Amino acid sequence: MGRLKGKVAIVGIGEVPTGRFPDRAAIFHAVESARLAIKDAGINKDLIDFVMPTAALYSPQFNTELVTCRIAEELGLRNAKTNCQIFAGGSSGSCFLKLGGSIIETGIANYVLCVHADRLGTGVTAQGGIDLFSTAGISAEWEVPFGQHYSAIAGLTTTRYKYETGCTDEQLAAVCVSNRKWAELNPNAFFRKPLTIEEVLASKMLSTPLRAKQSNMLFDGGSALIITSAERAAEITEKPVYLLGESGRVTHFVFSQEPDLTRFGWAEAAKEAFGEAGITPNDVDVAEIYDSYPIYQVIGMEELGFCRRGEAGEMYLKGDTWPGGRLPTTTNGGMLSQGHTGAGGGVALLVEAVRQLMGKAGQRQAPDAKIAVETGTGGTYMDAQVTILGTVIP
Amino acid sequence: MDRPKKPAPIVNDWARPFWEAARQGKLTIQQCKDCKKPIFYPRLCCPHCFSEDIHWIEASGKATVYSYTVVENNAPSAFIADMPYVVAVVRLEEGVQMLSNIVGCDPYEVKCDMPVQVTFEKLDEEFTLPKFKPI
Ligand SMILES: [Zn+2]
Repeated sequence: MGRLKGKVAIVGIGEVPTGRFPDRAAIFHAVESARLAIKDAGINKDLIDFVMPTAALYSPQFNTELVTCRIAEELGLRNAKTNCQIFAGGSSGSCFLKLGGSIIETGIANYVLCVHADRLGTGVTAQGGIDLFSTAGISAEWEVPFGQHYSAIAGLTTTRYKYETGCTDEQLAAVCVSNRKWAELNPNAFFRKPLTIEEVLASKMLSTPLRAKQSNMLFDGGSALIITSAERAAEITEKPVYLLGESGRVTHFVFSQEPDLTRFGWAEAAKEAFGEAGITPNDVDVAEIYDSYPIYQVIGMEELGFCRRGEAGEMYLKGDTWPGGRLPTTTNGGMLSQGHTGAGGGVALLVEAVRQLMGKAGQRQAPDAKIAVETGTGGTYMDAQVTILGTVIP
Repeated sequence: MDRPKKPAPIVNDWARPFWEAARQGKLTIQQCKDCKKPIFYPRLCCPHCFSEDIHWIEASGKATVYSYTVVENNAPSAFIADMPYVVAVVRLEEGVQMLSNIVGCDPYEVKCDMPVQVTFEKLDEEFTLPKFKPI
């Protein structure tokens, strides 16, 4: 087994700060992230032969620029053979590796440049953002007419999960606190001031039991990475980050059709990804678990097998997931604290997993990190994508 | 400022019988004649066994609340005036799930697994939405 295991590697990462930059055109976030990734890899830009942008949500005009080769032209990528967009919402980062890796392994390309950029912080108004996310990914026939939107979706998951497991509001608030502790150490994060459980629980109620400080906010930002073969990676860097395992499950389009609102497809996807990598959750040094709302980071932790069902809340509360804890988790601060940039929330987590394994995470470096897991999910938590990366091939 | 109009369902052709029945105060779902399983939302073919032999049945309208949330702030523009309102995933007696609103009670009385019954709310001349109220 092991289709791509150990055969492809990430050799460069780039990221611009997440925030509100009214004077910066959206293309800046794309071009600058890509430029930083090429510099990080230490390769000649003209080695890039495949450009793989993901989609931007804030404007069709900008998204079309990503589709129609603007990144290649801005950077002068003279040997680009193909520019092709890959988009699966919040799973786009995970999909970069599946698809980019396959393109490398089959010889279609030698260096794939994956880029995300969006401008949801300054490109849309606050109410415009709410309205965008009351239709994007939500069924126009079966859910939009009932006032469905993303805060309500998180509320629906949280209500049932609390009912079945006894998880407390304090434990859910602890996820936000854990992520903030990491963001305090992340120069690219938007929210960097310390946060307490009391502050989270005192914030405005959005959709019960979800409060404002348990909700992600939309920002401008971008990140990028470069994939190549394991052989080429070994020639150009001392620390290639290998793809060790991946799998996924698609479980719904219409949110209310999800058979289990408290589990989704994580357990099956994780079993296959860990199986391909030949490791268990005990071998993982860093867990970059997709958040967007605390409940999904709790469910992800449990369904991946890092603890039993109903126990993840206590891990976040006790500090297991914090800087210095036994399982550093969502170490860029996640969408809750670094900020949500659309499809880029997931790409940023993937970039962070690579950064940790390359030993480039600065103040938030997890000690001796060799194996990382990254998760992604798009739409209304429509899929469960699990990726395992490592600096060693078990 | 004008209040934005409530979004009407954007209807797929094969789902029209559902909305026509709803306008007449009936909750209908599909059932597969081959594997007998209930189907919601309406499909072109059975999502369980891929049979094209599916027909419409009237549901009892009895359901339980699988999960719910009370929207207190940051609603989509067209729903701001409705706050607080309850969004819920209900499980029909026939065994399918759907999204709706729980109405006809204090929003804070809604609980998981609570029994509810369908009730219909007219949106406009064309659409009537199935909603649910406590039994
Ligand atoms: Zn059937």
